[in-house]
Amino acid sequence: MAENEQAVTPEASIPLSEQENGSRDVWFFVAHRDGKLEEACLKLAMEARKLADKLGGEALAVIIGKQVKHLPGNLGDYGTDKAVVVEDQHLEVYSGEAYVDVLAQLVESSRPSILLIAASTIGNDLAPRLTARLKASLVTRYTEIEVDKEGKVTARRAIHGGNAQATVRALRKPLIATIDTQLLGLQKAKEAKNTRIAEAKIRIDPKTGITRVIDYLKADPCAVCVSEAEIVIGIGKGLGSVENLAAVDELAHVLGASIGGSRRATDEHWVADERRIGMTGKTISPSLYLICGISGAFHHTLSIKESQLKVVVNTDPNAPIAKMADLMIVGDMQKVIPELTKQLREIVRPTR
Amino acid sequence: MRTVVCVKQVPDSTTVKFDILTDSLQNVHYIMDPIDEVTVSEAIKIREKAGGEVTAITLGPPRTEEVLRSCLKMGVDRAIHLYDEAFDNLDAYSTSSILARQIAKLQYDLILCGNQSMDEGNGFVGAGIAESLNLPLITAVTRIDIFADTNTAVVHRRLKGGDREIVETPLPAVFTAETVLTSPVYPRLRTILDGLKKNITRVDAQSSSLDIEGIEPALALLSISQPKPRLKKTATIDSSLSPAERMKLIMSGGVQQKSSKAVAKPPDAAASEIIQFLIDNGIISREM
Repeated sequence: MAENEQAVTPEASIPLSEQENGSRDVWFFVAHRDGKLEEACLKLAMEARKLADKLGGEALAVIIGKQVKHLPGNLGDYGTDKAVVVEDQHLEVYSGEAYVDVLAQLVESSRPSILLIAASTIGNDLAPRLTARLKASLVTRYTEIEVDKEGKVTARRAIHGGNAQATVRALRKPLIATIDTQLLGLQKAKEAKNTRIAEAKIRIDPKTGITRVIDYLKADPCAVCVSEAEIVIGIGKGLGSVENLAAVDELAHVLGASIGGSRRATDEHWVADERRIGMTGKTISPSLYLICGISGAFHHTLSIKESQLKVVVNTDPNAPIAKMADLMIVGDMQKVIPELTKQLREIVRPTR
Repeated sequence: MRTVVCVKQVPDSTTVKFDILTDSLQNVHYIMDPIDEVTVSEAIKIREKAGGEVTAITLGPPRTEEVLRSCLKMGVDRAIHLYDEAFDNLDAYSTSSILARQIAKLQYDLILCGNQSMDEGNGFVGAGIAESLNLPLITAVTRIDIFADTNTAVVHRRLKGGDREIVETPLPAVFTAETVLTSPVYPRLRTILDGLKKNITRVDAQSSSLDIEGIEPALALLSISQPKPRLKKTATIDSSLSPAERMKLIMSGGVQQKSSKAVAKPPDAAASEIIQFLIDNGIISREM
């Protein structure tokens, strides 16, 4: 088994003096779903281009899957020089053990300077595994990478829950770095590249994994805990009375959202206690947080900072919550919500 | 079931602040990493069901003994404290290598770690230990079922949007836990008092049982500094505003601008605006 061939030899790490060997390339790992690139990958491509320019190397995409040769299509627009493709029927879905075997072989043969991975569910599993296998350097959720004149790589990242920042230097090669792609904007490269596609032949042992996935549980987006939900509807005092809850529930089903509430909403028993969002409840990080009738007291807003998009429906345009809004609707949630449900039913379907 | 739990003492992230005047961290109150309270509780619950013993292990300066004492009071059977001056300021890679070498000397069926620590949050130590000991690794674990008769475990992994992947693995294995794994155990007074009396095994670099030759760091910490302010979306300042208003906007970092478009609308127009916003941002898509 491939795992057993890798003996425990931390001594085998690459000494500093030999680090100049290997390439100055920047690689990035491409995640895909349903035969399409995720938008996060384009952002990674941009970031890889930027770092490759600093290092004086090329930006390379690594794509692993069953049928993925067509995927690099528009990566050239974002400055990707080359795409390394590994296709095998055993690699159709992500498996930590199998993907690490493939990536470790690729990285060891080319020795890039940096390997970027998006800090997603997959990335958070893949990056530490690969680092341990390659005895490389790991920086998770970096905010900035700098390269000095000698080509030494330093990275910055938030520590202590964002109350301080650490600057670290990679002592080994490659530096495996994960980044929260939400922090990156999307912009095409100044100079589009013609992405060369190289197919890598990797020995794949279908029995490489020791663990076995036996089932997959799809979550009901309306029932899931607010802390894990992709879309959350938050309700507060503006709901008025419990009779109006049915309308919110209906919207939640159309949108595939999980309902949470402010302290007021849980105290009134409109929402179960475990669905309270705020200092004494859950912290949320959805893609969309629809905030209805919540004024935005500090105790609530503290726990919603990680929400990507915040849409506020409130009768008071000067409520503190308005300052956080990406879209502010001044109106009564009791009237806006049924209308929103009606219009959503007519024209759209949730993407997930 | 012999479980080893890796625990860590961390500065409480909710109070710690970086002070620019002294160029150091202030308000540092050391606590047991909250995720470790979860893993220790889970280990104790596994012992209640499947029997066996629980060992807590930590690496750090003398003060970190407090965490091991907390573990003993929660009902852990044994505690091992790795400390040596040579272990000061280790990076995650070296930490995991040293822990792995100590764990290799123990009898174990299961190794539990937090998914990532409260302070540095590298999320590496579990993977490092698994690789060093050549064990299967399962990350982001939200539920553990042990089958002692076949020496296997079935665990749930957290995926995006609340989805779960169910994975079967032979034991021994390394699991890194999510906070939702379990609720804390509330030990009885007897357990707490017993915990106060138990011994903590101390291991240093010189002790014959631990060989730290050849462990090289993978990262060098250059500095700890003031956090970079979060990027704010700022709007270009509207030139039609009066100088006083413009000054106000500049001083507030432009954040006021965000809500400047807010005007009351009838419900149907408001709903259309929300829908358009959701489509523009890829949350929903128009069918047909």
